[in-house]
Amino acid sequence: MTELAVISGGLREPSSTRLLAERLEASVRKELGTLDIAAGSSFVELRPLGHPIIDAMITGFAAPALEEAFETVAEADGVIAVTPAFNASFSGLFKSFFDVLPEETLSDMPVLIGATGGTERHSLVLEHALRPMFSYLHAIVSPRGVYAATEDFGAPAQEGSALGRRITAAAADYARLVQGCGSHQRRDAFTEELTSMEQLLGGSDGESRR
Amino acid sequence: MTDMQWGIFTVGDVTRDPTTGRTPSEAERIQDTVTIARKVEEVGLDVFATGEHHNPPFVPSSPTTLLGHIAALTERIILSTSTTLITTNDPVKIAEDFSVLQHLSAGRTDVMLGRGNTGPVYPWFGQDIRQALPLSVEHYGLLRRLWREEVVDWEGKLRSPLQGFTLAPRPLDGVPPFVWHASIRTPEVAELAAYYGDGFFANHIFWPSSHTQKMVELYRRRFAHYGHGTPTEAIVGLGGQVFMRRNSQDAVDEFRPYFDNAPVYGHGPSLEEFTSMTPLTVGSPAQVIEKTLGFRDYVGDYQRQLFLIDHAGLPLKTVLEQLDLLGEEVVPVLRKEFAIGRPAGVPAAPTHQSLLRARAASEAATPDATPTEGLTKQ
Repeated sequence: MTELAVISGGLREPSSTRLLAERLEASVRKELGTLDIAAGSSFVELRPLGHPIIDAMITGFAAPALEEAFETVAEADGVIAVTPAFNASFSGLFKSFFDVLPEETLSDMPVLIGATGGTERHSLVLEHALRPMFSYLHAIVSPRGVYAATEDFGAPAQEGSALGRRITAAAADYARLVQGCGSHQRRDAFTEELTSMEQLLGGSDGESRR
Repeated sequence: MTDMQWGIFTVGDVTRDPTTGRTPSEAERIQDTVTIARKVEEVGLDVFATGEHHNPPFVPSSPTTLLGHIAALTERIILSTSTTLITTNDPVKIAEDFSVLQHLSAGRTDVMLGRGNTGPVYPWFGQDIRQALPLSVEHYGLLRRLWREEVVDWEGKLRSPLQGFTLAPRPLDGVPPFVWHASIRTPEVAELAAYYGDGFFANHIFWPSSHTQKMVELYRRRFAHYGHGTPTEAIVGLGGQVFMRRNSQDAVDEFRPYFDNAPVYGHGPSLEEFTSMTPLTVGSPAQVIEKTLGFRDYVGDYQRQLFLIDHAGLPLKTVLEQLDLLGEEVVPVLRKEFAIGRPAGVPAAPTHQSLLRARAASEAATPDATPTEGLTKQ
């Protein structure tokens, strides 16, 4: 079973960001289905984690609800991440979540990026903000992201809605990426640190221990 | 014999009292620290430990100077650190400073080593924070040899070599101070402690107890792996943080402004959230007793418990009242309760005397070992 973690940074209820995230999730599962890959998914809504995210920045550790969100992402084989565009970038809350997410969680993780905004003039936020951040985090970012402007949600579906086509195309790309990457190997920083220490001690000056 | 040692550890922060707006002077804070240490002895606790910092708003940049002074004013308590920076201090100077302190205090000295996480301290002392781990390993390897071998020839990668170096003074009775390795977060420190069979001290203040449990489990398992004994024979210390008043609600009301404005976690989680997530206890002496007794449920029976009670701008008078409560009501009960059901194989907390006895016993067991003071490798 391929597990997807869907991260939505929308702030309002109902949220167009959540709506885009849901459409991407459904489309990706459908595309995975055509590849004979069964997929499950879990949603991580950032809005209720707002306080715990800031607390984690201040204290250095995550409250149980945030820890659970970290687990969901760490256990996933793929991540769909969607944010509203604020001031020419992702929202501060969206960025903050990834600032406190334990290092290496997204290493080698296939990620599908999406963003929403008032007008289509902000669509390059995908390429100028989301893609570089996920690249920095060593994720494998799917080539096609999806940006949805408010106007996109009003387009009649029977006219082969442009948004629907973009979602399908992006989901098809991403499904092939997830297929190619296979099951995601979780990095265990605790064990990695331990191993490097063990090697360091083994290579110390050979003084006999007690 | 004291199975468990009880005491306090100070960060040494000079912090504005948020309820009065008053900030003590550095001189005042240092004198207050001495008063607190003397009170630790007066109320019958066992250990006073000081942090080491090299930037404002902290005052303890020279821990052995402070502890040497306290040694002269006390007769019984163990003087320790929380922590001594093994990365940025020269191991030769650490060996010298603590040897002198050991002699001055007649063996009432041990040391807790840590890496330090203030970035700029590394370049200030000519070191590179990216080398923190190799520095810890190399410096500590040298420190051990300086305390255990009469003449040291040493060459490493991160410090100038030593040829024919003899530490002066030699450790008291040829027995080095007991070493604890302290960590907030990193498994490497637990591994270092386990490798050498030293003590492991979990900060146990800033992170949830589930994390402390994981670290102590790792340390105990690796202690056994390296052949120092069974996991229950490993030497474990814990931090902790308490604020008490006889009436629980009074404690909460009085402590809240200090908590809300505390330099480390202030303006973050609420006091209630932090209390539920971490070992912090704010309440009556009975509540502190109950929560503290629960620590051994997740770390096993252990050897040393230190509380943080003098930070975040709390005035001296309040801190001394905390010590009265600890000494009169809390620790006597905890000593009794922790003794009940403590398995026979759990070692007592290490002291200079217990290390002397252990050495005598191991020499009796291997009569052909060279008994020359200072030459015996341990």
